[in-house]
Amino acid sequence: MSLLELKNVSKIYGELHALDDVSLKVEKGEWVSIMGPSGSGKSTMMNIIGCMDKPSLGEVLLDGVDISKENKKNLTTIRRDKIGLIFQQFHLVPYLTAVENVMLAQYYHSMPDEKEALEALERVGLADRAKHLPSQLSGGEQQRVCVARALINYPEIILADEPTGNLDEANEEIVVDLFHKLHSEGTTLIVVTHDPEVAEVAQRTLVLRSGKLHKEKINENFTGKIHFND
Amino acid sequence: MFLRMIKGILTRQWKKMLMIAFTIALGASLASAMLSVMLDVGDKVNQELKTYGANITVVPKENSVLNELYEVEGSGGTGAYLKEDELGKIKTIFWAFNIVDFTPFLDTSATLDDGSEVQIVGSWFDHHMELPTGESLDAGIVSLRSWWELKEGSWLDEQRDGDSADCAMIGVKLAEKLGVSAGSTLHVKGAAAEKDLKIVGIYDAGGSEDEQIYIPLNTAQALADLDGCVDKIEVSALTTPENELSERAAKDPSSLTVAQMETWTCTAYASSICYQIQEVITDSVASPVRQVADSEGAILEKTQLLMILITVLSLIGAALGICNLVTASVMERSQEIGLMKAIGAQNVSVTLMLLTEIFITSLVGGTVGFFAGFGFAQIIGRTVFCSAVSLKPMVVPIVAVLVVAVTMIGSIPAVRMLTRLRPTEVLHGR
Ligand SMILES: Nc1ncnc2c1ncn2[C@@H]1O[C@H](COP(=O)(O)OP(=O)(O)OP(=O)(O)O)[C@@H](O)[C@H]1O
Ligand SMILES: [Mg+2]
Repeated sequence: MSLLELKNVSKIYGELHALDDVSLKVEKGEWVSIMGPSGSGKSTMMNIIGCMDKPSLGEVLLDGVDISKENKKNLTTIRRDKIGLIFQQFHLVPYLTAVENVMLAQYYHSMPDEKEALEALERVGLADRAKHLPSQLSGGEQQRVCVARALINYPEIILADEPTGNLDEANEEIVVDLFHKLHSEGTTLIVVTHDPEVAEVAQRTLVLRSGKLHKEKINENFTGKIHFND
Repeated sequence: MFLRMIKGILTRQWKKMLMIAFTIALGASLASAMLSVMLDVGDKVNQELKTYGANITVVPKENSVLNELYEVEGSGGTGAYLKEDELGKIKTIFWAFNIVDFTPFLDTSATLDDGSEVQIVGSWFDHHMELPTGESLDAGIVSLRSWWELKEGSWLDEQRDGDSADCAMIGVKLAEKLGVSAGSTLHVKGAAAEKDLKIVGIYDAGGSEDEQIYIPLNTAQALADLDGCVDKIEVSALTTPENELSERAAKDPSSLTVAQMETWTCTAYASSICYQIQEVITDSVASPVRQVADSEGAILEKTQLLMILITVLSLIGAALGICNLVTASVMERSQEIGLMKAIGAQNVSVTLMLLTEIFITSLVGGTVGFFAGFGFAQIIGRTVFCSAVSLKPMVVPIVAVLVVAVTMIGSIPAVRMLTRLRPTEVLHGR
């Protein structure tokens, strides 16, 4: 059984089909990139997979559970237990320090554990920045805090919506390296990106176009390492 | 973690919360000022009004009947008097603590050397009295006629040994007519005795009393040969505004049911105080001085109504202000709240966080406001009622409950917004 399966999923806003009859399977431990022009429905799909939105039509099976039928409260619980989210705009709580931001995810999940949170920060190379507020961190550092926050509860899937959209190449590489580490530990990754170099690192790239699955590309020589061809 | 978050927002974003705290402080200060004054103002207004004279008069039964029949003022030698030695009993009635002051009067007249007749009133000035209950009391016209303006000399001091019996105070008009001043002596001839009265003070009462002479009660009794007699007692009592029950009771106490009778005697209506005074003073009729008693109650009611109105309005204002500020703050923090929900926060925990924040803020604002309001109440007390407003312990819980209620009500729209907020709406820059 696949970890994630979308069956004829559509998301319709009035006339607009943001997602139009999309079917797809993602296996456990897979690293998938999603590409597509702006407005093609990438974020819409991520929101549905991430239990933050429901499809208008179709079924979404996550770990065998049809999340398109669950109520809001259960969706929150599923999201909390199974999904790690990373956003383009980082979204850290401004009045909490880096380590507290990581602990926040633990708090809503189960019990905050400062030691574990510090370890997570150490994994993303920010042990020495634990007590800094987001405003005192660079964009790359903030995104690494977000990665630490996303992985702290050992989620089944990490969903990243343009995680490197606001980062320079150096930080992009750090983040992709972190993804590589997570992938090699068996975490499933779904990464939305505009950046072909980031997309190419994944095992599989899906291309959306006006809500439809347009193209699917398997990366034969998958290394998980980013390679800048300039 | 919860505490760390609260601490985080309060220590690192205190400026935003300050505005909310300030609004609450404002509302709380008004509310506590008004409540302090309101709970204290009953006594204050009464004391204020007391300076305008007595609100109950006690006269002998026969005179009262005559007065009613012929509508004549004063007691016209019917030979009926009250007994001076019963006066202390007034302080033994159930409502003794509501009796602020009382003074006996004995009207008499005397002839001067030139043959003209003057009205002389015997009364207490600052009479010291040992009560049957063991307490003591200072009563007299010094406090009951506090609006008298001293034109010359000083108030007659009864406590002064020896010569006080021969002292007198004279009204300003009469003094002018007779050409006397403080220090002069006046020879008067009463029905039973003659006296040389030493004028110690000249007063301006602004009424008929300006043509009278006031002397100690015992001296007047000696002049008129009426030992132990009094023809009128004025009582100043703190009363509850009259209502339908008290009016019915005043007309005919026997028309009440047992339960009504109980309420009536257990409420400090002027009429029930009168009734009790009549029971301790033989052959007397006590009646409220209608005008004063009623206007006292009415003013009190109106003042309290006004204060309740101000309190309610200020609380509504505070609630609206809080509503705005909290909603704005939720809007401003929508991304952060959306994020919390995205990483697994249920509505309850986000709501709880917001309410705790606001609650702590309101606690701070409320405390500050309470003390500010209490200071404000002092200012009102000093300027309007000329006395300090005492802190009624009741004000604290009332203000606390009001502050919490107002902040929670003010937070309702914000909480609704917060629970409806969907993470997808705020997290992805579309
Ligand atoms: N709540 C909504 N109401 C109406 N239309 C919406 C809503 N959310 C998304 N859409 C529309 O759905 C389409 C897909 O949006 P989506 O955010 O998924 O695009 P995207 O692929 O993530 O684009 P980008 O690369 O710019 O982030 C867009 O045309 C958008 O306008
Ligand atoms: Mg998008």
